Amino acid sequence: MKLAVISCIHGNYEALNAVLSDIDAHKADQIYCLGDLVGYGPHPNAVVEMVRSLDIPTCQGCWDEDIVEGLNACDCSYPSQLAEKRGHLAHEWTNRAIHPEVREYLACLPMTLRQDNLCFVHGSPNSQHEYLLPTMDGFAALERVLAAEADVLFCGHTHIPYLRELENGTLSVKVQHPGQSETHREFTAPLKRIVNAGSVGEPRHGRPNATYVLYDTDSAQTTLREVPYDYEKTCAAIIEQGLPPIFAWRLARGMEFAERAEDAGHVCER
Amino acid sequence: MANWAILSGIEGNLAAYEAVLADIRRQRQPVTDLYILGDLVGLRGDSEEVVRRVRSPQRGEPIPQVCTGWWEEQCFSLHGIRGLPDAPELVERYGIGAVKDLWEAVSRQTVQWLADLDFGFHELDCLLIHGSTVSYGDELTPETPPIQLCDRLIRADANTLFCGRSGLAFECWVEPGALRSTVTTLDQTAAPQDQEKSPRRVVGVGNVGRQGCQPSYVLYNPGTDQVSFKCVQSSPARGFGAARPKK
Ligand SMILES: [Zn+2]
Ligand SMILES: [Zn+2]
Repeated sequence: MKLAVISCIHGNYEALNAVLSDIDAHKADQIYCLGDLVGYGPHPNAVVEMVRSLDIPTCQGCWDEDIVEGLNACDCSYPSQLAEKRGHLAHEWTNRAIHPEVREYLACLPMTLRQDNLCFVHGSPNSQHEYLLPTMDGFAALERVLAAEADVLFCGHTHIPYLRELENGTLSVKVQHPGQSETHREFTAPLKRIVNAGSVGEPRHGRPNATYVLYDTDSAQTTLREVPYDYEKTCAAIIEQGLPPIFAWRLARGMEFAERAEDAGHVCER
Repeated sequence: MANWAILSGIEGNLAAYEAVLADIRRQRQPVTDLYILGDLVGLRGDSEEVVRRVRSPQRGEPIPQVCTGWWEEQCFSLHGIRGLPDAPELVERYGIGAVKDLWEAVSRQTVQWLADLDFGFHELDCLLIHGSTVSYGDELTPETPPIQLCDRLIRADANTLFCGRSGLAFECWVEPGALRSTVTTLDQTAAPQDQEKSPRRVVGVGNVGRQGCQPSYVLYNPGTDQVSFKCVQSSPARGFGAARPKK
């Protein structure tokens, strides 16, 4: 079975359309979406309507959560204070723009989706706000896949697609209770994978093209896809709608206009 | 030479805390630092007195460095200071009656003092905390899956993680073996990397005041990296002041 996994559409209808056409061309049997349907981009309602009309199973992203719950992300969600301020502006705009039934739909999205040995989340199994970066410590990454009770963990949120394979993970544990003899435990993990689906509507891999992944459940073959689309149209709509122009600037370059978040493992206590 | 005493879980049991302080005073190598990893207060005993005693160390006693624990978080929840309102965790674990008991056991003034305490301490290459950096309620024991222990140590960014949530006394060395990691991006497939790490450990510091337990705590010598476990005879004068040091 061929799966297409998309994430982080962020109100970019042009990009979504291009990706859906690419998925059609590759004859995927099933599409999954990892959330962040709204935020940054100019067409949140149209994106949600499209995802709903295609019955795409979707989990809740950090933006979807914040639109429903109100902004309660701690500073750690943003790589800098400037980025945070821009994020707030985009949040307010999106909050005004979305229709009540869209808000309702976002509120009801699940945190995780499952299919057999696959698990789908937005950020990590712990939180929509946690970044699973490819540079994260291998054992910490392995823990996330095991916490999801899966062989393959699909995530998004970083906006840069990657495939990470974790093999031969072994741990040994020596336990000493006071007054007792030492006991030993060994632990071995079979091959586990993390697949980051990148971002359809707000890519940050250094080019403006939309990204997503194809996954073959029989062969475990993972293909990172990069799809050109008319990003200038989205950029023009961003300006036209009065969203911060920097969103158009960075969309045209495929990068985040800020330093990267430092502590990838940080889980905020909010 | 530094010698740390680390304890947790007094839970309002003043006699047990006094017994531990007396044992600390008896150490041949003087204790230079005293860490209390949360749970000063609880449903039984006299939480107000315990907090008063912790805040006013006697002459010659190390000044306790205190962080918050599970019971303090229940107070914050009850008093609407942080977390979910109305202490749902407390109700789930101890029943609805516990709400009134805890409300009466710890005054608002004390709760406010507790609310200013740290969440944990990074000292040298150690993290001292009630649960883990994931949560105050994260209960690490020797039975916790190895990968989870390993993850908590990575998150702690420490070689030794001292914790008190379980109330158990244990030393658990976690040694990561080989892990082969290969990352493929749009632009490249990086050569596989083998991660190997030196062993790190999780230390459960026991508990001072839980019912039906003998007071326990640990001593840690940062110079030798040795942990030793201490078990103390509880004073028969339960609920009253001091178990005086034996001369
Ligand atoms: Zn996103
Ligand atoms: Zn996100």
